[in-house]
Amino acid sequence: MSSSLYVNEAVEEAVQHARPERKKLGVLFWICVGWLALNLFGAIFANVLPLPNPLFQNYAAINAGPSLHHLLGTDDLGRDIFARIVYGSRVSIEVSLGSMLIGFGIGAPLGMLAAYRRGKFDAILSAIMYCFLAFPAIIATIAVLSFWTPRSLFKIIVVVGVASIPLVYRVIRSATLSCSTKDYVLAAKVQGASDGRILMKELLPNIAPIGVSFLLIGIATVVTLEGALAFLGLSVSPPTPSWGNMINESLAILQQNPWLAIFPSAAMCLFLLCLNFIGDRLRSHFEVSEVKL
Amino acid sequence: MNEAKLLVVRDLTTTFHTPTGPLRAVGGVSFDLEQNETLGIVGESGAGKTVLARTIMGLQPRTNVEVSGSVLLNGFEVVGASEKQKRSIWGLQVAMVFQDPMTSLNPVMRVGKQIDEVLRVRLGMDRHAAKARAIELLELVGIPSPAERYCVFPGELSGGMRQRVVIATALAGSPQLLMADEPTTGLDVTIQAQILNLLDELKGRLRMSVVLVTHDLGVVATRSSRIIVLYAGRIVEIGSTRDVFARHRMPYTRALLEGSPKISNPSHTRLLAIPGRPPNLANLPRGCAFAPRCSYASDRCREERPELEPADEVGHAFACWHPLPLTQKIPA
Repeated sequence: MSSSLYVNEAVEEAVQHARPERKKLGVLFWICVGWLALNLFGAIFANVLPLPNPLFQNYAAINAGPSLHHLLGTDDLGRDIFARIVYGSRVSIEVSLGSMLIGFGIGAPLGMLAAYRRGKFDAILSAIMYCFLAFPAIIATIAVLSFWTPRSLFKIIVVVGVASIPLVYRVIRSATLSCSTKDYVLAAKVQGASDGRILMKELLPNIAPIGVSFLLIGIATVVTLEGALAFLGLSVSPPTPSWGNMINESLAILQQNPWLAIFPSAAMCLFLLCLNFIGDRLRSHFEVSEVKL
Repeated sequence: MNEAKLLVVRDLTTTFHTPTGPLRAVGGVSFDLEQNETLGIVGESGAGKTVLARTIMGLQPRTNVEVSGSVLLNGFEVVGASEKQKRSIWGLQVAMVFQDPMTSLNPVMRVGKQIDEVLRVRLGMDRHAAKARAIELLELVGIPSPAERYCVFPGELSGGMRQRVVIATALAGSPQLLMADEPTTGLDVTIQAQILNLLDELKGRLRMSVVLVTHDLGVVATRSSRIIVLYAGRIVEIGSTRDVFARHRMPYTRALLEGSPKISNPSHTRLLAIPGRPPNLANLPRGCAFAPRCSYASDRCREERPELEPADEVGHAFACWHPLPLTQKIPA
């Protein structure tokens, strides 16, 4: 009698253990999310935070190393590097989010529609997109930005955003393509679901994980691209700080003041690492749960 | 022809235009289906069963396919209807159960929501009514504690349970015709019987008709009233289940029967495989499509294609120049 009770309990316990538990994302993932959130917070509230003016030139402290007064030191004009990095993150974040908004806003719906409708619409649109893809995006952006003067943040966002449309289109189209041949799409169709409903309810949630991880990679790529443009002097014009700008300016005095190159590079590097790690983590998280099905 | 026929298929032909030329997957298929009847469609892989089922539903790719003939479903002509028109019968008059329950449910939507869709969008139910009805449907298809299962994702259910959910979604619009395209192929044998019995029971309770597409004669043996044997996209034998099993005339039907295992066989009996392979649909032989694999084939079979003979008084018809004699013993 008592033994059967025991068995029941054991079975129950086993069943509870067998229940699929939500897989954890890990501490490092949340540290990365925290770091990005901190960056975002700094970029948004830079005006309000107790930071020195990033444009104020303190001739009493030129090329100073890190100290209590200037957390990360000053540059060759005596400007506070920490303040400039925080303000500089604004440019990177604005350019990356803005251009991804354009890229995904136009590329993703087109990609989904093309993959779902197929036929002529898909053939023509894909042909156009692949023509754009054949042209290296970075050369195109450099070319357009060097002629489209005076440069402003808005123009950079538009140029980078438009350049990212074919890339987003390609990824979203192929993701949708592999989803739309699945039986559940057909099943929804024979239940009488409209095309819009199938796109929004059946396809969109299923390609979302791929879209999100590509978005994170895209943001990282744009941050680097902005850095490269700034390095070539094609981003926002000085004295407005951006990470790329700062690295560019630091080159001239690399030997006197290496901090000036190291800190903005580190800021950019950490930002990118976190983004890539989060994207990678999310991808494997969703992939595993798909295999489990 | 009385009015009560649910489905009337006449001379249905589906041709795919492939880069290597036209491929006729379904060629001139005609049959009727009564209300509350189960029809089995049997054939090898590649015989055109799935294409036939999908053509009857009106589910073809948007391009490179040509459908001719007529499919009258409750008076609605499916062939040539626009997608919008077909949407009005899909789900409400005809529904479909797919082969693989692993892929026929949306993996990121709770199972209850997938049943809700039809109820809310098509039948205009409000949220609470739809949920109540969805739980009722889950109970109907034999899912234990349906109220809890309403909230789980498909990944948390077993294959058999998922197929039950698929059936529940198909039944949501109370269709009169349920097309089951190999509903048990992806399942264990024990679960297969459960699902088939469930379909049979539901058919009786909900007074609907079922078209059961399968490659397994054992599946349709006890559950369908009539059987269509399909070969290379054409009907080669049609008749009541009893006639097809006991009085089949077409050598292909016999070969299929001999190819399925029987419990009465002594152990280690070798199953008879049909020699050769199903014909290439893009390049069919001039005569009978089965002739190259048939031990009775004569020159006439290779030259001239036999048409489906007019049905006898019990509706049994076959397409063969050398039908098996009627005294043929029932293959145990």
